[in-house]
Amino acid sequence: MTNLDHGKFTRVTTLFHSLLALDVFLLFFTGYAIMFNSELWWMVTLMGGATGVTALHRAAGLGLIALIVFWMVLMVISPTGRSNFGEILPRKADVDAFLQDVQFMLGRTDERHPHARQFAGYEADEVPLLSYVGKGVVFIFAIELLLLTISGLLIWSKTGLMQYFATRTAAMAFVIFHGLLGVIMVMGVMFHIFEHGMHPAFYPVETKAFIPRSMIPESHDEDDDHEGTGIEALELAPSWHSVSTIFGSLVVVGIVSVLMGSIVREGYPVPRELVVSGDVTNLLLTIGINIGMFVLFVGIVLSMYGNVMRVRWEKEMQQRQREGETVADGGEPQSDD
Amino acid sequence: MSYETPDVDGYSPISVLVSAVVGVAVALLSVWWASGFGPFYETLFRVSPTVEGGGVGSDWVAGNTIPSLDFLIALVHAADVIMGVFILFMVFLHWASFRRIAARMRHPDESESGDAVMADGSGSGGETE
Repeated sequence: MTNLDHGKFTRVTTLFHSLLALDVFLLFFTGYAIMFNSELWWMVTLMGGATGVTALHRAAGLGLIALIVFWMVLMVISPTGRSNFGEILPRKADVDAFLQDVQFMLGRTDERHPHARQFAGYEADEVPLLSYVGKGVVFIFAIELLLLTISGLLIWSKTGLMQYFATRTAAMAFVIFHGLLGVIMVMGVMFHIFEHGMHPAFYPVETKAFIPRSMIPESHDEDDDHEGTGIEALELAPSWHSVSTIFGSLVVVGIVSVLMGSIVREGYPVPRELVVSGDVTNLLLTIGINIGMFVLFVGIVLSMYGNVMRVRWEKEMQQRQREGETVADGGEPQSDD
Repeated sequence: MSYETPDVDGYSPISVLVSAVVGVAVALLSVWWASGFGPFYETLFRVSPTVEGGGVGSDWVAGNTIPSLDFLIALVHAADVIMGVFILFMVFLHWASFRRIAARMRHPDESESGDAVMADGSGSGGETE
C-alpha cells in the first residue's frame, strides 16, 4: 500500500506540463488581449501594441505546435505512452463518480468516489491514474488545442486564409471563430487552477504535477487497518478559508465575464446587430475580464511555486539520503527538526 | 477494486529526443507551409467602384456572407455557453466538496494531539512549523 498518491506524473510529464502551461498562458494573454482589446487595452500596450501582441501570439503558437507534436509522437513511440493510453478512456465508474460528487456536494453521501478523489491518503490503491475530472481535462484540452492549432495556422497568413474564405470579412469571421473556440479552454483552465490550487489537503498547490513520481517514496506499511483516507489527521492551513473564498469568487467572476464577453463581443467587423456600449455593463465586463486575467496570472504563479517545491523536494531528498548513509555507516543520525 | 500505476520506468531518453525533434520539425514545417500560402491576386480586391461590382471595400459592406462560417460561429457560441455553464457547475461542485473536506481536517486552533501527519506523510504535522 502506498499512502503517498500524489506522484503520478513522470519527470518528462511534469516538465511537459509546466512548459505547456507557460505557453498556453502566453497564448491566452496575447490572444485575449486582441479579442477583448477594449477591456484589456493595457495588456496590448504592455506587450508592444498590435504588432507586438500578434508577434508574441505567433511565437507562442509555434511553441505550442512543437509541444503538442512532441507529446503525440512520444505517446505513440514509447511503451509508457502506449500503456497509459488505456487509462484516459472514460469508464462507467467516471459517470458514477460524477453523480456521487453531486451527492457529496449536497451532503447525501460521506465520501467522494475513488474516481473523483484528489486526496486518496490511505486508500490510494483504489484511486485510478486519472480522476473523472482529469480525464475530462485531457479530452477537452486535446480537442481544443488541436482545433485551435489548425485554425491558428490558417490565420497565420491572412491573405492565404482569404483564398478559402473569399472576402476579408469572412477571413475576419474565421479569426473570431478561433477566439470563440479558445473561450472554452480559458474557462476550463480557470477551473483547473481552482481545482488544483484550492483543495484543502494540497492548498496552495497540488504538487502531483510538479514532483515526479520517481521522487515520491512509497511506503508499504503493515498497518493496513486505517479506515478512510486519513484526511482528519491533516491540519488545515490557517488561511485556507479566506483565500479559497476570495479565489473561488474571482474564478466565478472570471468565468462569467469571459463568457459574457464572448457573447457581447461577437466580433464581426460588420456586426449583425448594433451593440450599444459604453454603459455600466461595459464597466462591469471590463472589471470582470481583468479579474479573469488575474486568475490566469495566479495560475502561472502557482505553476512556478510548484516547480520551486520540486527543487526544494529534490534537495531534501538528497539530504535525507546522505543522512541515511551516514547512519548506516554508524555515524550520528541527525534530527531534521 | 485496486489500481496499479503501470509498471514502467518513465520515458526513455531516446523516445524523448525523437519526439522533441519531430515536434520542433513539424512546428517549423507547418508554419513555413502556412506562410507560403499565396493568394490568387486576380480574384482578390478587384477594383470596381461599386458595391455590386465587388469594388474595394465592398466586402466590408456585405459582411460575412459564407453560411458555413456563420453556422460554425453560431455553433461555437452555443458550445461556449453550454461548456461555460457546465464549468461553472464544476467550480461550485468542487468548492462545496472542498469545504466539506476542509471541515474534516484538523483546524489550526485545535489542541495538538500527537498523531498528526503532514501531507507528505511525515509524522510531525501538528507540532512544528
